[in-house]
Amino acid sequence: MHKQIWKKIGIAFLTIYIIITISFILVHVMPGDPIIHLVGQEEYYYLLDNDPETLNKMIEKYGLDDSLSAQYFKYLKSIVTFDFGISYTNQMPVLGNVMRACSWTLLLSVPTWILSGIFGAVLGVIAGWKPGKLFDKIMTPIFLVLNTIPSNCLCLLMLILFAYNLKWFPINGMVSPGKIGLERTLSILHHMWLPIIIMVIFRTASDFMLMKSAVSQIRKEEYILTATSKGIPEKKVLFRHVMRNAMLPYMTSFCMQMGGLLSGSMVVEVVFGWKGMGMLMYNAVQNRDFPTAQLCFLISAFCVVISNLISDMINIWIDPRLKEDTANE
Amino acid sequence: MNKKKKRNLPMISGILMISFFLFIAVFAEQIAPYDPTDMMQGYLPPSKEHILGTNDVGQDIFSEMIYGTRVSLYIGIFAAFVVTGIGTVMAMISGYFGGIADKVITAVTNIAMAVPSLPLTVLLVAYLKPGKASLIIAISITAWTGTARILRSRVQQLCEMPFIKIEKTMGVHPFVILWKHLLPNMKDIIFTRGALAVSSAMMTESSLSFLGLGTYGEKSWGNVLHYAFFRNSIMKQQVWWYIPPIICISIAVLGFMLIGYYGQQKKEE
Repeated sequence: MHKQIWKKIGIAFLTIYIIITISFILVHVMPGDPIIHLVGQEEYYYLLDNDPETLNKMIEKYGLDDSLSAQYFKYLKSIVTFDFGISYTNQMPVLGNVMRACSWTLLLSVPTWILSGIFGAVLGVIAGWKPGKLFDKIMTPIFLVLNTIPSNCLCLLMLILFAYNLKWFPINGMVSPGKIGLERTLSILHHMWLPIIIMVIFRTASDFMLMKSAVSQIRKEEYILTATSKGIPEKKVLFRHVMRNAMLPYMTSFCMQMGGLLSGSMVVEVVFGWKGMGMLMYNAVQNRDFPTAQLCFLISAFCVVISNLISDMINIWIDPRLKEDTANE
Repeated sequence: MNKKKKRNLPMISGILMISFFLFIAVFAEQIAPYDPTDMMQGYLPPSKEHILGTNDVGQDIFSEMIYGTRVSLYIGIFAAFVVTGIGTVMAMISGYFGGIADKVITAVTNIAMAVPSLPLTVLLVAYLKPGKASLIIAISITAWTGTARILRSRVQQLCEMPFIKIEKTMGVHPFVILWKHLLPNMKDIIFTRGALAVSSAMMTESSLSFLGLGTYGEKSWGNVLHYAFFRNSIMKQQVWWYIPPIICISIAVLGFMLIGYYGQQKKEE
């Protein structure tokens, strides 16, 4: 069992290494001089015409005249030492910017993750336990349609309905200006409502589908028939036999969703002006601030890899069959 | 008879939706009353001359939508072709040959699955020159993994069937087996995966264009929505500007989804 876990950890590290390399290649192998990606196109042509001296200094500063392998090692070293450079837009260390944005994003995505995990599981079990009944007939098409609407469209529709027409929620931003202490917290909570509702709707739709299909598949198994024919009450069958087995794939996917906590809310953040990771990356790309964009990408990827690793481990831990398999190896 | 008809209803409605949009895309020049790049008076409300009014620089929104159909469908379908193509080839190689090829391709698939797709796509679009081609590359670069996984297990299943085993023993060239015997047996599943790929590619495209990272010059539906949102059409209550792209995107995505989802179900039964 230990061997299995170590292997998984090794693979996770390898994946992270490859992703880091990919992000290096992206800058240096893309068509065009890498300095264009680093200073931005307009700035580059401006400097080329008016001030080639500064341009040369910048090339030297970023080490772009070194060989590719030397640059690569320099890049790896900077990552290991957490030196991600200075943001072009506000001249602060990129790492601090990104970390601040992270905490704002987590404020939205962690409640979403937990709430939709619960809603999806409960609704999915009810629909899957009695397929073809009224609840299933109503909920399944609703969630199917919700699953297909692109997130930017639903975002705008909800924004128009609840913020502009009904005026229940603020239109934009994270906190009203000039509030301190408890009032500030309440104001943030007030601003959080609408983005969280939208994200919960989306996530619940996919969680619901997953749980429903898991439950309706297990319902057909023979051990469920045996349990029912032994005269075990329906509720006991549901909780003891069906739920336990359906929780396995559900937990796996629930843990894997953790990877999307940082990167999954870009559109929602842009629509609501929420200054989180998605917004930061969006602005970075718009302003050609590549160190920031790259770090955002790296951190999101790191998050996905780690959460996949965690879900693998939890799977080994809660599924006795897997434990036995690995023990025999 | 009756039951069969009932089951195919969602698929038929999906096909109808898509044919409607395809028709518009093909005959865009004939349908659109104006050239979408012509600039006239800005911010006109809907009238007889302009069914959906005009936008901030005075372009006819109805014509924009008609031409946008072409751009959105082109990117969606083309990206889906790339995605399904790569996925199928990867799946066939790894499923049929096994061994090292299988291990390498599975590893690549796992890594591609670990990369968060929207951030990578945004990053790629930023690095590449803006345009349709780079948008298609950026959309397809992580999207092929699901197709590859599903098709790989299907290939492995088929390889256990007697007719493939017999052909292998007879020494038929692998290329012939793959092309003539495996591919036709997978065409249903490839088709449904393809339809789903179109819908997800169109979703990604609309998100990217909505963020202002889409094509320049030619506007897709997502671009129309981008300008509507960032020019404050919601604040100004210009319903005719922001509602049409939302409806079009949702219906097109739903159409492809219905074809994919119910096509799959029909096959399973």
